[in-house]
Amino acid sequence: MPNKHDSSEKELGRRKRLYRLRQVVQIFTLILFLYLLVGTRKEIITILPHDLFFRLDPLLGITSILASQVFIVSMMLGVFTIALTIITGRAWCGWLCPLGTILDWTPTFRIKSSKMRIQSHWLMAKYILLFIIIFTAIFGSLSLIIFDPITILSRTVTSVIIPGFSFLITLVEISLYRIESFQPSIEQFDYLIRSRLLTEQPFFLPNLIIVFFFGLVLTLNIFRTRFWCRYLCPLGALLGIISKIARLKYRLNQETCISCNKCETICPTAAIDAKNNFFANTSECISCLDCVEICPTKSITFQHENKANLKSNYNPNRRQLVKSIGAAFFGTVILFVIPIFQVKNYFFIRPPGSDEQTLSNKCIRCGECARVCPTGVIQPSYSLKYLEILWTPILMTRLGYCDYSCTLCGEVCPTGAITKLSLERKQKTIIGMAHIDEKKCIPWAQGKDCIVCEEMCPIPEKAIKLEKETVMNSSSEISDVLLPRVIPDLCIGCGICEYKCPVEGESAIRIYHAEKLKHRAIIGTYRKEHRHLTK
Amino acid sequence: MSKVNRRKFITAALGGAFTAATIYGYYQYSKPADIKSYPSSSITQTESSQPTDNSDSSPTPPTQSPAYSPKDAAYLAVVHGENPTEIVETALVALGGIERFVKPGDDVIIKPNICVSYRSFEYAATTNPEVVGALTSLSLNAGAKRVRVMDYSFGGSSEKAYTASGIEEAVNAAGGEMELMSDIKYRAVDIPQGKDITRWLIYGDILDADVLINVPIAKHHSLARLTLGMKNLLGIVKKPNRFHSNLAQRIADLNSRVYSTLTVVDAVRILKDHGPTGGNLDDVEIANTVIASHDIVAADSYAATLFGLTGNDVPAIRSGAQMGLGNMDLSSIKVEKIDV
Repeated sequence: MPNKHDSSEKELGRRKRLYRLRQVVQIFTLILFLYLLVGTRKEIITILPHDLFFRLDPLLGITSILASQVFIVSMMLGVFTIALTIITGRAWCGWLCPLGTILDWTPTFRIKSSKMRIQSHWLMAKYILLFIIIFTAIFGSLSLIIFDPITILSRTVTSVIIPGFSFLITLVEISLYRIESFQPSIEQFDYLIRSRLLTEQPFFLPNLIIVFFFGLVLTLNIFRTRFWCRYLCPLGALLGIISKIARLKYRLNQETCISCNKCETICPTAAIDAKNNFFANTSECISCLDCVEICPTKSITFQHENKANLKSNYNPNRRQLVKSIGAAFFGTVILFVIPIFQVKNYFFIRPPGSDEQTLSNKCIRCGECARVCPTGVIQPSYSLKYLEILWTPILMTRLGYCDYSCTLCGEVCPTGAITKLSLERKQKTIIGMAHIDEKKCIPWAQGKDCIVCEEMCPIPEKAIKLEKETVMNSSSEISDVLLPRVIPDLCIGCGICEYKCPVEGESAIRIYHAEKLKHRAIIGTYRKEHRHLTK
Repeated sequence: MSKVNRRKFITAALGGAFTAATIYGYYQYSKPADIKSYPSSSITQTESSQPTDNSDSSPTPPTQSPAYSPKDAAYLAVVHGENPTEIVETALVALGGIERFVKPGDDVIIKPNICVSYRSFEYAATTNPEVVGALTSLSLNAGAKRVRVMDYSFGGSSEKAYTASGIEEAVNAAGGEMELMSDIKYRAVDIPQGKDITRWLIYGDILDADVLINVPIAKHHSLARLTLGMKNLLGIVKKPNRFHSNLAQRIADLNSRVYSTLTVVDAVRILKDHGPTGGNLDDVEIANTVIASHDIVAADSYAATLFGLTGNDVPAIRSGAQMGLGNMDLSSIKVEKIDV
């Protein structure tokens, strides 16, 4: 936030330069982040790795490696962020983090009253959260990774903003298309953006919880600038601990300091404390350099230690850190006592190439798989009954179907929670099992023709077979009707039958969790020997 | 409160217009494909009392024959040969040339069958790309303003299906355009001659096109027995899965509203079982044939003989003939068989 302080024009120009530079970097990073999300659609068309930001996030790397006890090579890019932090402190937060950028643009109403002052020990909250996340990860659960800032933003964009936006655009286009004179321009506009920006994914209402969560993060910003970064962000906490040994950090020349209080006012994370002779808490400092610009006597620098007269001895929370580790351990134990964190048998249908074990160990809830799914069948699990797996991918087979020619979810998963399968192997991987409800199915219940499920089935031999039977239909006529039956040995549970079933409301053919999956050691084990699939 | 100035007024007006457009769009979007609910045969139709909302409420019935037909032109051309491009060209020469169907300046739409994104044309689930490519360049040579090729694939996205089937490449090479069927262009239109369905959401551009060239692939279908030219038009309507309770009659009803100027049945490779998606090369038979006619019923009826059936065995063809959409009796028409 630029602060309106009276200063000479020359100074103003100098101040703006650094501030402008930071803004340019922030905007560029945010655009890059959004480009990588939007570019990862139907096929990966981005030049940089589409999961760059997830890989750069050391919290995601550490926790996914701890939880899965597998060395995930792709997540090692987080080392760069750690190295950056060792050099420049929490510059990631101030300059690069896309959520931080959005929070910088969110308005704040600073409350001056001392009664509203938030006690400094609340700064510990983020450390407690960080250590709870790390401890639960050691115990093999990634449930709390939903608090990671990068995934908060990516999840919100992928599962709410993009589908909602494209639905809205389509509706406006439909109504404007009725006006004849607009038609050519609407057609042109639609042609330009539909295959590039819009998605055919349905807007799934339970995903609004995700946007509420994001909204909460933004709303908290009303009380304090960067409320999230100060008190809650676990990634900020991790980088804050590392930044204690940062090379370039806040240094104050006490001799020239005139105690004008400008730096304390402008600091977005309240790292500078006037009561402590304007020294800064380096683990709170996000290296935004606003204080360097505002200082009228140029007493503040971010330089290497061995320059004389530059001290940064303010280091209050070594004891607090130990306290928060203790509190986090206690919290973790309590979380695992609560039964919701122990539920292990789910019957959700999972994307091909994943199972409950790999998902609970490796899934970072980033929403990339839901983003690329061409039909929108992959949605974040929304059930509050199963908090442990909140926002992990599940297949909603009434909303879409698993495309027989698509392996994108496995390809984009940054941590390998969804195994990367070859197309040939994916086409034999069991996702679920279809069952026909004979009380709803049109041929079974009404004796009328409808073989949509059989027609749609992508299996070369058709996993739904038809049997001709003479029945009396609902109009009391004797006629021949084709009754569909599922062949369990052939069905892979892709769900196109459920999606296309013409029965209103709940489908007459539904995909259930395949019971036999439990007995398979490896996901995607090839079928029984007698199955001869495509050459 | 501050006064309403011009900027505020314009902002508010634009916001209001946007909201209104969204609400109206949602109303249009969520309308059912047909007036009748599914399954429908027991509900009495009250079509005349329904308010109609666009100019398509009283369409002129399509003419059932092209503007002129030369005396020596064949009614139905059946060409057998190795090269798909060559047999398509020969078939059209036998019919009296592409100029009989495509006039200079015409807006031409070619509707192949590109039903799934996971099969290349070898599996005979999608129309042969060379056949579509040949028709594209023929139409362009006849002076068509533009030639668009489109289909809505049910398995996988159309975009991917266009590429996987090889049709995109062939059409682009020939100078045509592939169009992705957009949600915004469907219109609810009346089907005046319809016996079972009288109103449905149909793709507007196909209704407006000067020439519709229907290029199905001949393949097996468990309910319709065969999917040919008439059934191929299911790709241009919203919610085609609602057709199946009375499939044959509904296909005929749809064909009474949407007239295929020219039907070219691609029987270069035909799928004899596990249709319409296929996937087994054992089910594919190489027939190296195309069947072309202005009469969709006659073309379908001849194509049925490749499967050892007659037009009478395929319910949709029978319904079409009963509605007077064409002639399914092959003995009464002039069939020209050519080997290339």
